[in-house]
Amino acid sequence: MRTYIAKRLLLIIPTLLGAATLVFLIMRVIPGDVALLILGGDQGQIDQKQLDAMRRQLGLDQPLLVQFGTWLWGVVRFDFGKSLWTGQPVTEELLIRLPLSLQLAFMATMVSVMISIPLGMLAAVRQDSWVDYLIRVISIGGLAIPGFWVGILCILFLVIFFGWGPPLEFTPLWVNPWANFQIMVWPVLTVGYRYAAVTTRMTRSTVLEVLREDYIRTAWAKGLQGRAVVIRHALKNSMLPVITLIGTEFAFLIGGLVVTETVFTLNGVGRFVVDAVAHRDYPVVQALIFLIAFSFVIVNLLVDLTYAWFDPRIRYR
Amino acid sequence: MAARRRHRALLTVVALAVLVGSVMAAVAVDAAETPRRGGVLLAVIGADAPSLDPHQESTFATMQPVAPLYSTLLQIDPYSYPSIIGDVASEWTISPDGLTYTFKIRPGIRFHDGSPLTAADVKATYDKIIFPPTGVRSIRQSFYSAVASVEARDPSTVVFKLKSPSASLLSGLASPWNVIFPKKYLDKDPNYFKNNVVGSGPFKFKSYTRGSTFEGERNPDYFVKDRPYLDGYKFFVSTETSVRAAAIRSGRAYIEFRDLPNSEVEAIKKQLGDKVVVQTTPFVIQFGIAINNTVKPFTDVRVRKALTLGIDRYTGGKVLYNLTGLKDPGAHTRPGTEWAIPPAELEKFPGFWRDAEKSRAEAKRLLAEAGYPNGFKVVLKNRNIKLPYQDWAVYVIQEWRKIGIEAEHRPLETATWYADGRDQGNFELMIFPAGAYIDDPDQLLYQYITGSPQNWGRFSNPAIDDLYSRQSRALDPAERRKLVIEMQKLILDNAYHMPGLWWSRNVVHWAKVKNWIAPPSHFTNQKLQDVWLSED
Amino acid sequence: MATNVELSHAAATPRLAPRLSFAEAIIKFARTKPIGAAGALIIVLMMVVAALAEVLAPFDPYRADYGLQFARPSFEHWFGTDEFGRDIMSRIIYGARIALFVGFTASFMGCTIGGLLGVISAYWGGKVDLFLERLMDILLAFPQLILALAIASILGPAVQNVVIAISIPIIPRAARVVRASALSVKENVYVEAVNALGASRPRVVLQHIVPNVMAPYIILLTAQLGAAILAEAALSYLGLGAAEPTPSWGLMLSGSALSYAEKAPWIALFPGIAISLGVFGFNLFGDSLRDALDPKLRKS
Repeated sequence: MRTYIAKRLLLIIPTLLGAATLVFLIMRVIPGDVALLILGGDQGQIDQKQLDAMRRQLGLDQPLLVQFGTWLWGVVRFDFGKSLWTGQPVTEELLIRLPLSLQLAFMATMVSVMISIPLGMLAAVRQDSWVDYLIRVISIGGLAIPGFWVGILCILFLVIFFGWGPPLEFTPLWVNPWANFQIMVWPVLTVGYRYAAVTTRMTRSTVLEVLREDYIRTAWAKGLQGRAVVIRHALKNSMLPVITLIGTEFAFLIGGLVVTETVFTLNGVGRFVVDAVAHRDYPVVQALIFLIAFSFVIVNLLVDLTYAWFDPRIRYR
Repeated sequence: MAARRRHRALLTVVALAVLVGSVMAAVAVDAAETPRRGGVLLAVIGADAPSLDPHQESTFATMQPVAPLYSTLLQIDPYSYPSIIGDVASEWTISPDGLTYTFKIRPGIRFHDGSPLTAADVKATYDKIIFPPTGVRSIRQSFYSAVASVEARDPSTVVFKLKSPSASLLSGLASPWNVIFPKKYLDKDPNYFKNNVVGSGPFKFKSYTRGSTFEGERNPDYFVKDRPYLDGYKFFVSTETSVRAAAIRSGRAYIEFRDLPNSEVEAIKKQLGDKVVVQTTPFVIQFGIAINNTVKPFTDVRVRKALTLGIDRYTGGKVLYNLTGLKDPGAHTRPGTEWAIPPAELEKFPGFWRDAEKSRAEAKRLLAEAGYPNGFKVVLKNRNIKLPYQDWAVYVIQEWRKIGIEAEHRPLETATWYADGRDQGNFELMIFPAGAYIDDPDQLLYQYITGSPQNWGRFSNPAIDDLYSRQSRALDPAERRKLVIEMQKLILDNAYHMPGLWWSRNVVHWAKVKNWIAPPSHFTNQKLQDVWLSED
Repeated sequence: MATNVELSHAAATPRLAPRLSFAEAIIKFARTKPIGAAGALIIVLMMVVAALAEVLAPFDPYRADYGLQFARPSFEHWFGTDEFGRDIMSRIIYGARIALFVGFTASFMGCTIGGLLGVISAYWGGKVDLFLERLMDILLAFPQLILALAIASILGPAVQNVVIAISIPIIPRAARVVRASALSVKENVYVEAVNALGASRPRVVLQHIVPNVMAPYIILLTAQLGAAILAEAALSYLGLGAAEPTPSWGLMLSGSALSYAEKAPWIALFPGIAISLGVFGFNLFGDSLRDALDPKLRKS
C-alpha cells in the first residue's frame, strides 16, 4: 500500500508540471497585449516609449523561458506574483475571494449529497418502475436546463413578484449568518441541484452494479427480505464508489462555479478567472487555473487512494 | 336664522381648514426643500476599478467611486452645464492676449491628512499631467499642448503660461480626471495614488474590497461649509446589467450612475411608480464605424461613400433607441449644440440623406462605378459588449445587406479590440465609439487629425489638420464655430470615417436621492457634494 | 475456418438471447425502454427540423422587421419577435442546425480522437501507454468548462471555434474510458488465442478490440452530446461563443434577452426551452442506451 501511495504521489509532480506549462503557454498564446490594455483603457493615447517602459515594469520583455522559470520558482514558494491589472499580490486577491467560493462549493456538495444518494438508491432498487422513471426524468431534466438561465429567472421571479433582490455584498457566515444565507441560498440551490442531478444518475448505476453482484443474489436466494438485503449489503458496498464518484464529479462543480458566480455576480474565484482572462492578467489566470488544476488533481488522488485502500485488487496493477 | 348660523359655522370651518392646510403645505414644502443631513448613499456600478488614480485611468469604474474624494482646479457647474466654475480655484483672470491664465486658490483647503492645499500642489499635479517625468504616463497630455509652463507664484496663486491661444483651456482644466494630489506624495512616488487616496474632497476614503465594494465617509473638514450632507457613500460592483437593475428595484441600491437599458428602466418605473425618478440625458458619446483607409477597397472614396450611404441613420435611431439608447444621427460633434452642423445642411451629406431609397440607389451606383456591381464581402470587427456595440453592429450589417455588402461580424475582447483597432490597424471596418466629458471641439475632433492615436482609420488630410489647429486657437466663438463646421464637412465629404448615432442615457434612481442632476457625461458631477437623502 | 467466423462475431460477453436484426432491436428497445424511445424521438424531431429549416421556417432568421420589435406571439409570429423584430420561431428552427452541428461535431471529434488514443494506449502498452496516460492526465487536470473557456478565448468567438474548444476537454475523458474497456478486452483469453494463432496486430485491433469498445464509446458519445450543447450555451453566455446575428440558441439566451424578460419574456423563454428539450432528449436516449448496452446493468 505504501508503495502505491508513493507511486501515485510521485506521479503528481510531472502532471502538475505539465499542467503549469500548459497554463503558461495558453495565456501567452492568447492575442492581446496586457501592457496596451493597462495603458490604453477606454480613450488613451500611448506612445512606444511608455509601452516599452510598462512592459519592462511588468517583466514582459524577458524571454518566455525566463518568465516561465521565474513564475515556477515563485509557485513553489507560494508566491504567485502581482496582478498585472491592479498591482496587488495575487495571493491577497485570491484570499479575498476564496471564502465565498469554498462555501459555495461545500454547501452545494452537501445539498447534492442529501438529494442524490437517497434518490439514486431508490431508483436503482426499483429499476424500470414508475419511481425509477420519475427520478431519472427529473434528474435528466435538471441537467438539461442551462444553469445560468435558471439562476437569472430565479432572481427575476423574486424581484418581479416580491420586490426582493439578493444582497449585493458577501458577508461571511460567521459575521452575519442571515445575510450570508440570503446571498448564498440561490446560487447554492442552482449549483447543488445540477450537481445532484449528475450524481443521482451515477449513484443509480453504481447501486445497480452492486445489486447484480453474486453475493446479493445469494442473499436473496437465501430468502432474506428485500429491504434488509438492500440496506445491509448494497448500501454498505455502494457507498464507497458513490463517495468517490462525488469526488470525480468535482469538476462539474467547479465548472458550475464559474458560470454561477458570473450570473449572481458573486465576488468569487470563478468569476475572477473569467475577468482575469478578459484583462489578460497573466499572473492571476496562471495562478487560478493552476490552483484549480492542483485541487482537482489532489481530489482525484484522494479518490484513487480511497479506492485502493478498500479494494486491494487495484493496488497491484 | 338657524340656517344662517349654520352657514356661518360652515364658512368658518372651511376658512380654518384652508388656513391650516396652507400652513401645513408651506411647512411641507419647506421641509422638502431643506436638505437633510445624514444617510449613506448606496449605488451599483458595473465594473471594478483597475486602479484608483484618475490621472492614469479613463474608465467610469475609477471615476465614480473616487471623484468624491478629490477636488479639481475648475469644474463644470453641476446645475448649469456647460458653464465652468471654480472648485479649488475661487476666481481667475485671463490676459488680453490669451496667453496667461491666473488662478486664485481658495484659502483654508486641507487634504485628508491635515496638510494645506496650496498652489504648489496644483503646480505639481499639472506638471505631472502636462510634463510627465519619464516612466510616468499621462494619457491626456496632448490636450494641454498649448501650455508652456505652470507656475506657483505664491501659495494662493497659480499661473498657466501658454505658447499660443487655446480656446479650450478652461474646459480642459475643468476635467474631472485632473484631481489635485498633494505634492509631497507625488514627489516621493508618482504612482502612489494608484492604490492610495489622499484628497481634499467632500468625502474621505473608508474601505475598498476589490471586485466587491467601495466606501467613503464624510470629510468633517471639507472647505465648503455644511457640506457634504451625506454621512457617506457605498458602491457595489455588479457586472450583470439585470442584477444591477434588480438591485435598484429591490431597494438594495438607490442609484446607478451610468445607464440602464430602456426595458429595465420601464420595468422599474412600472413597479415602483413615484418612488423612482428617471433622468434622461444625451451622452457626449457617439457610435460610428472606423474605416481602414489604408487597405483596398477603402482607398477609393466611392466605396467609402457607398458604405455610409447604405446606413439609414434616421430609422436606426428609432429602432435602436429602445434597445440601447442610441438616438440622434449626427456628425462629429453632438447634434443640438453650437458646434454641430445644422440639420438642414447635414442632410446634404452622404449618410444623412432623408430619402433612404435614394441613398441606397446612389450607394449601389457608386459601388458599380468603383468596380463592385455585386457588392463584396467584408469583416466588421467589434467589441464584445452587448450594449450598444453589438446591437449597433447588427443594425448596420442588416442595412449593408440591402446594398449587396456582406459583413461578417467579429466581436473581439476589449484587449484585442484595442490592439487591432488602435494599435495595429488590423481591421477593415471597426465599430468605434468616440466621446468626451464635455462638448468641446478640441476633445471631439482630436481623432481626425493626422497621427492621432485615436485616428483608428489612419487617414491624413492636411486641410483637416490645419482647420483643427486654427479652431483650437480661435478665441472668438463665432469664428471657432465656422471652422469646426467646415472641418466636419470636409471629413464627411471624403467619408474618411463614418459617424453614426449619438448616445443617450437613462439614469433611474430612488426619489429619495435629491439634488443630483444627470450631466451629459457619466464622468462628471460625481463629487456628491450637494446630494442628500430625504429618508434612509 | 469456423473459429475465425465465430470469433469475429463474438461480443465481450456471451449472449443468452438469439441475435436480433437491426429493426427488431429498435422495436425491442422502444418497448422495453420507453424513456429512451421518447428521447430518440426528440432527437429525430430535432434532426428533421434542422434538415428542413428552409421549408419549415416562415421567415429569414436574419430578417429584421423594424415595425414589429418585441411583438407578442401571434398567428404570424408563433413565438413572437425579438428586439430587432426578427421572427423567433425561425431563429429557433435554424438554431437547431447549429446546436446539432456543435453537439455532434464536438462530441464526435472528442470521443473519436480520445477513443483512438485510448485503444492505442491500451493495446501497444509500454512506453506509448505511459506517455499518453501522462498527457491525458495533464489535460484531465483542468475542469471541462475552464479548459473550454481558455481555448475559446484564444480562438475568438465563432461557431467553429466553439466546437474545437468543447471537443478538446472531451478527448482525455474519452481516452480514459475507452482505454479501461480496451484493457479488459485485451486480457480476455480469446484475444490471446487469436494472437497465438498469428493474426497481425492491426487485424486484432480492428476486428476484436474496436467492436468491443463500441458500447462504452457510443454511450460516451451520446452522453457528451447533450453536454456539448450546454457548453456552447454557457460559452455564448460568457461572450465567447457564436457571434451576432447568428441564430444560435445559446447566443439568443445571453445578455439582454434576460433584460427584456419582463417586456418580452418569449425572447428568453423559447431558446431556453429549446436547449433544455434538446439536451433532455439526448440524455434520455443516452441513459437508456447505456442501460441496454451495458451488460452489468441489464435486468436479469
